[in-house]
Amino acid sequence: MIAPKKITITVNGQICEGQQGQTILEIARANNIYIPTLCYLKGLTPWGGCRLCIVEVEGNPKLVPSCATPAVDGSKITTHNERIVAQRKATLELLLSERNHICPICPYNKGDCGLQHQAISHGITGIRYPYLYPALPVDVTGRYFGMDHNRCILCTRCVRTCDEIEGVHTLDVANRGIKSQIVVDMNTTFGASDTCTQCGACVVNCPTGALFDKAAAFRGQWTSCQQVYTTCTECPVGCGLMVHTKENRIVNVWGDPNSPVNTGHLCVKGRYQIWAEPRERITTPLIHGQPATWDEALATIAQAAKAKKEEKALLVAPRLTNETAAAVARVANTVGQVAMFVGTNEAALCADPSFSEEALRKLQDADAIILLGVQPSRDHGVVAARIRVAVRKRGAKLLIFHARKSDLDAYADVAANVVSLESKLWNKVKAVLAGSQRPALLYGPHAMTPIGVTVMERLIGILEANPGGEPLLLGLPISPAALAMSKAGIPAVEEVGPWLDAKSLKYLHIVVGDAPDGGASLLEEKYVPALLGQIACVVVQASYRSALTEKAHVVLPSTLWCEKSGTITNVEGRCLPLRPVVPVAGEARDDQAILERVFA
Amino acid sequence: MKKTPVKKPARKSEATASAATAPAATPKVKVATMWLSGCSGCHMSLLDIDERILELAKHVDILFSPIVDIKIEDMPKVDVAIVEGCVNNTDQEHELKMLRERAKVLIALGDCAVTGNVPSLRNQFTARDCLSRAYEQTESTQIACIPNDPVVPKLLPRAHPLQEIVKVDLHIPGCPPDADTIWYALTELLAGRIPQFHEKNMRYD
Repeated sequence: MIAPKKITITVNGQICEGQQGQTILEIARANNIYIPTLCYLKGLTPWGGCRLCIVEVEGNPKLVPSCATPAVDGSKITTHNERIVAQRKATLELLLSERNHICPICPYNKGDCGLQHQAISHGITGIRYPYLYPALPVDVTGRYFGMDHNRCILCTRCVRTCDEIEGVHTLDVANRGIKSQIVVDMNTTFGASDTCTQCGACVVNCPTGALFDKAAAFRGQWTSCQQVYTTCTECPVGCGLMVHTKENRIVNVWGDPNSPVNTGHLCVKGRYQIWAEPRERITTPLIHGQPATWDEALATIAQAAKAKKEEKALLVAPRLTNETAAAVARVANTVGQVAMFVGTNEAALCADPSFSEEALRKLQDADAIILLGVQPSRDHGVVAARIRVAVRKRGAKLLIFHARKSDLDAYADVAANVVSLESKLWNKVKAVLAGSQRPALLYGPHAMTPIGVTVMERLIGILEANPGGEPLLLGLPISPAALAMSKAGIPAVEEVGPWLDAKSLKYLHIVVGDAPDGGASLLEEKYVPALLGQIACVVVQASYRSALTEKAHVVLPSTLWCEKSGTITNVEGRCLPLRPVVPVAGEARDDQAILERVFA
Repeated sequence: MKKTPVKKPARKSEATASAATAPAATPKVKVATMWLSGCSGCHMSLLDIDERILELAKHVDILFSPIVDIKIEDMPKVDVAIVEGCVNNTDQEHELKMLRERAKVLIALGDCAVTGNVPSLRNQFTARDCLSRAYEQTESTQIACIPNDPVVPKLLPRAHPLQEIVKVDLHIPGCPPDADTIWYALTELLAGRIPQFHEKNMRYD
């Protein structure tokens, strides 16, 4: 590759170095020269719509938008003078008069709003133009966020985010001129949209309050919040979270822009489901459903745990921290059986746990992506976003082998919902993969079925025959910590019923942790409710109430993701930190501490 | 404000600006305040200048105000008129125009006066629909009747910020503007200067 040519420009008399192809704004920012912007956002295609970043280039009679103008070697640029500032002020006044910007009733006031910030810093007290007061709709049909067109300045940051980061292109601009409006799909609502993934990236990137989070609205300005960085524990990707907190409450959750895993992007699980869903939290120990003290609960457990070693068992959810997993491994010798309950076909995936280093970064560069028995748009939203962008923006090939349909099928070169071994399909697969230099094969639990294994063997055969580079292999379980916990030596079971049936248990300890369903999924399996009924003492360690905690003899309250400290290991083998964001609710205790106390 | 009666050393800082240094013999500045479609929060914010109001009283006579017992017909000529709220009905329009005629300087105080703010939310609907919602369709309505007595001022088709009705000399945005901002604006005017607002003494919310 040829290194880009170095260029030098003069900005406000200051000599600034940059590279050929960089815009004036990029070079100015890199040299700590401030140019006001509204529609510009690093990482998105420049739009040049807001006209706040206009600058004067010597020799050019017009003011140019610095965000969209490539710098020319030797040019002399002025960012602030009377003419430029007067035009910026006029632009801001037009923006303020065009729609109904009523700051006192907006949740993004007091410093959160880019438009307000720019208008105030430009000293705009009143405006010279008539206010238009248009009648505009507000869409609050979305589950987690809404759109208020009254506050929209049509900067299209949401449109570009939706297209270039999440890759679904749900949002776009309809109509022309003053009637322009952001639309969802073909002018429907967020609630009715069938393409919106509810990742909420558009809300984070909206410079005004036009897109707003429902759960965060009016809970405090994020600019007045504390930011705590932690890790999402909802899937094995392990995205970095930036949690805004105020007065020991979570105000909002954004992606951590500095995380090497997700670089600021999140899916609906990390962005909203972990905190913005109403769930019934357990804050005290319960004995037969009645609140009790820890001493009473532990005494009850100690009485029941006097059973023989082989009459006791420990069943854990595949979502524990590395430290808790180590504690489970340590206490394993005091109980007859230890197991981790995982989803269908996940046990095979965990049988030989391997991590794929730098997989998420490599995935961004892949030129052919194969999905085998894995459904990222449901289970690993950030991976799905990378795949969509790779396919739609960089022309990567996409091949999907999965029984379930997903939104990714629409972009796929090959989407085989029913895998056949007929040569027509495989010739096409070979044709699509031919010439691929950086292929990536992502496989999930369903790659472990007999047909899945056959397809995998064929695919690897094709990839090895290709002259391209070593394929990226990434095993993606659904359970967040299944791989790391397998590595810690905890055996996985897919069917809890037969596992329970094989022993005559008197004491069963289930660690559900902060699973959002409170462990209710265990009861979905046939015979499990009946088998649990036969055990003299069932202890459940969980954060949320569920059908399982209703059945338990003793319930111990465990801490949530936002109250924990420790580490988790993601599919790349990265050891990622969990940091306490808010104080522990009620009498909840950490899973590790509870296990060590109970099995001391 | 050309014939400013009070001369003070030039000072930028609103918090330290004091009118105490002015000679006592100069005639006081005549001030009117008016409360149109607003929540009175801006008047509250004016009172929030706390003990500085005693300083202000040395240099200012408030001749017309919601808290001065005076009839609208007796509105005096003033040097400075401070108006809170936007113009929503025929009476307000009439009063504001009257005040403009009698005032040398007219200040739009607060977002309602400057932009229309919350009262302007009704501009997306017709006046008839707004009245109907308020008097006929509320959950507690028992006898649906839109007041039509000629004594009751007529609602204008839409709410107007002051600048759409009269010439405004100074806008002070904020909902409400901070007491310090109001104090700064008043002391600057008393000193014969036009206030220059900066980021720290401006707000829209």
